[in-house]
Amino acid sequence: MRLGEGAKMQASINVTPLVDVVLVLLIIFMVMAPQMRKGPEVNVPKTPKPSQQGDERGRILVSIDEAGVVWIDNKQVTAEHFSEALHEAVGAETEPKIVIRGDAKLNFRQVREAMVAIEQAGFRGVGLIAKGPSAAARGE
Amino acid sequence: MEFNRGDSGSNLQSEINITPLVDVVLVLLIIFMVVVPLLMQGYDVNIPKTSTNAVPAQAQESRLILSISPAGCRILGPSAGEGLPADCLVTLADQKVPAAELPARVAQILGSRPTEKRVLFLAADDRLNYEGVLRILDLAKSGVEDLKVEFITSD
Repeated sequence: MRLGEGAKMQASINVTPLVDVVLVLLIIFMVMAPQMRKGPEVNVPKTPKPSQQGDERGRILVSIDEAGVVWIDNKQVTAEHFSEALHEAVGAETEPKIVIRGDAKLNFRQVREAMVAIEQAGFRGVGLIAKGPSAAARGE
Repeated sequence: MEFNRGDSGSNLQSEINITPLVDVVLVLLIIFMVVVPLLMQGYDVNIPKTSTNAVPAQAQESRLILSISPAGCRILGPSAGEGLPADCLVTLADQKVPAAELPARVAQILGSRPTEKRVLFLAADDRLNYEGVLRILDLAKSGVEDLKVEFITSD
């Protein structure tokens, strides 16, 4: 259209399709992200300075919800089957990283029992998941 | 391409093509948006093997034990706000210590030890609130770098 003006050219390319595609991808990921979380909703304790525990994928998540029900990843487990289920979740991994996501309202007893159960299943060392004071502190 | 055709030649395309840049940046944005909520924070702790009694080879007397009881620190129910009760007392190496002094005390006792010997044994009462116990653990860890924590889990 503007070519008729001679020296003036169309300096910008049409970015609309690009923005279109990117926004659709953005929406897809925003919808999918909450579903990629493992385990039940747990309100983890808030503490001043927790250290990084890495990505939750690649960790074995032992969650204890507000009611004291224990989950391994996405499955609810009973105390009797805990060891079996944990070994099943670990699979062939030689150095599994196990973390406990306990609800802030729990008694320490419930968390301690889970730690003992993990130790008795033959694993040593767990991460106790907490949450820093603000999202801004996450980058530390 | 076709824009320049027929030009006098003195008119160059002065703008650089930012499309690939925008592309890459937006993809990075998406990746971070997906990954960031999945990152977790917390505390690494160990559980001493109760069955085989294989507590790390440390002399009994050099083991630093921090114990928390509901009598000293009233963190029985879910806490309303941030932090611990002001009058919270914990027992560190058989001495009653206000929780607020924990970082300094732990640093004083363990700071001079080599890193592999910086081990804190933590014994918490079953009735305590989990969040309160973690906040005390946070205080104890904040005094020294590379502090290993062992939970004493036997009754």
